[in-house]
Amino acid sequence: MKPLNQKAERVQQAAAEGQMDEVRAMQTVTAGCATTFDPGWEVDPFGGLAALCQPMEADLYGCSDPCWWPAQVPDIMVNHPNWDEGAPNAAKDWRALGATYPTDAET
Amino acid sequence: MQLQSRGLTAALLMSVAGAMPALASEELLQNICSSCHTTEENGLSRISGQRKTPEGWMMTIVRMQQSHGLDISAEDRRAIVQHLADTQGLAPSEAAPFRYALEKDPNAQESFDEPFASMCSRCHTGARGLLQNRTAEEWELHMDFHVGHFPTIEYQALGRDREWYKIARTEIAGFLAEQNPLETAAWTDWQAAEKQPVAGDWVVMTDLPGIGEAYGKLSVTGDASPYQVSGEFVTADGTVHPASGQMNLYTGYEWRANLDIGGTPYRQVLALSEDGNSLQGRQFDRGNDALGAPLSGVREGAGSVILGTVPSAVPAGEVQVQVVGTGLEGLDASAGEATANTFGAALSLAAEGNGVVTFSAGGAEGQIAHYTSVDSLRVEPEFTIARVGGGSEEGPAAVPAYFNAVGMWNGPDGEAGTEDDVRIGRVEAQWNVANAHEHAAHMKDTEFAGEMQSNGIFLPAVAGPNSDRPFSANNAGELKVQAEAMGQQAEAMLIVTVQRFIDPPIR
Repeated sequence: MKPLNQKAERVQQAAAEGQMDEVRAMQTVTAGCATTFDPGWEVDPFGGLAALCQPMEADLYGCSDPCWWPAQVPDIMVNHPNWDEGAPNAAKDWRALGATYPTDAET
Repeated sequence: MQLQSRGLTAALLMSVAGAMPALASEELLQNICSSCHTTEENGLSRISGQRKTPEGWMMTIVRMQQSHGLDISAEDRRAIVQHLADTQGLAPSEAAPFRYALEKDPNAQESFDEPFASMCSRCHTGARGLLQNRTAEEWELHMDFHVGHFPTIEYQALGRDREWYKIARTEIAGFLAEQNPLETAAWTDWQAAEKQPVAGDWVVMTDLPGIGEAYGKLSVTGDASPYQVSGEFVTADGTVHPASGQMNLYTGYEWRANLDIGGTPYRQVLALSEDGNSLQGRQFDRGNDALGAPLSGVREGAGSVILGTVPSAVPAGEVQVQVVGTGLEGLDASAGEATANTFGAALSLAAEGNGVVTFSAGGAEGQIAHYTSVDSLRVEPEFTIARVGGGSEEGPAAVPAYFNAVGMWNGPDGEAGTEDDVRIGRVEAQWNVANAHEHAAHMKDTEFAGEMQSNGIFLPAVAGPNSDRPFSANNAGELKVQAEAMGQQAEAMLIVTVQRFIDPPIR
């Protein structure tokens, strides 16, 4: 079998080096991808970054669309339907993703 | 009440040229909002059952624009915020516990009891909810609003493990209705209270991140928002930074100013005291609110008041200190010579070794430490976050983090880190960053996450996937921020994380 991505390659490498004990499924690290602190947007459940999705752009829409971090990241499904305009692939088009709160809406 | 999903026509009621002054407030509110909100016994539906901060009302109107197609000019939007904050705002005592959120303090940490913590502040600050007062019915509708706008709220973690909606309607709405009801004695009293005029001359003290501790004077003129503000800030070395801009005053005490200070746009989020004689809050770089510091102010001539000193502490030797305040003629100091000036009093010191100089005038007291050594060092804040950013025209800019080194003496017990430690004040330090742990070292976070400057400001690296890192990880990182001064060391924790794409005035 030929690994299709970097993670699969790392698993294959771990198997070859007898280090499969160190390979963990994502669910065991983050207890299932979920809301703000599970993992959070800024930090993982342990207050660090190790269990966050990295890079965050890799599967951004898969998480943010169903408003996983509704106060931090725009969801396209309900509240910010045009946020991803010009950025069909977040990992490649991340430069087109802007902030949604208008800069002139100051008190 | 029915909300149209799109295409409010309120804008048609407004001046076509857009240059006319805003209509009288209540009339403007009716014209803009009654396209959707119906007139009820106490006013317009939904709106009449709520009280909020100026920022809270602004966020609501922005949501009406973004989610319900409201078309409104920036001028009318601000006029409505002014009207609603003045007539349906928060009393000073109601906003007081949560001012850190209005001030955008990057280092504030909240702690709330359950179930509020998991139900509300798992996504946004608890302050965002508690800076509002509503009728019991409005709080229930607020729960429904959350399910409507964020339908997955019930199956996210901390949602799917409980009957989220039931708890929201039965426990949280009731808790909030009791905790933050529409009608309170504090608000009734504040509405009846005579509001103090804000115009006049103010002596102020703050810190301009990257520039230094500063004192100054601001003159406020005008009799309604926007007030004109002009003056200057002066750093310890005597450099003058001219300041000018405009300030809006909401609810009789909420000071919101945009000032140009020495060529940099700053914002002030301050509260005017109920007696109208002091200011307290935070001033920050308008383009980068993580770079800011507390600001205090006193009305010139309001008796004898000492705000503090610039600098906050001095190395021993011959030094000039500015005691910042008002009414400090005849300042009596335990050492040195004091001369009253327009910012308080200048104090010339010839101090030896470690010690504290105390001073007083007209019942106001203050002190400043002079030092040749410190027993320990502290980095403030002890924990904070920064964010990668930039690298594109659209995306959020990087969010830096600002650290200070504070010198400490051990106090009578001779031990560092105990309650009797004496805080000397800010000291010059050498700054460095290190990987926080093994994983950070493996990811080479110090190489990728950003750069620590000599002025205590950490500048995060650029946003986006980085193909030079494993799995093209972002330039996020977990770092220890280390300060060294006079043979002592201290450190703080810094998480450099990803961008925030929704960044409203109350997070």
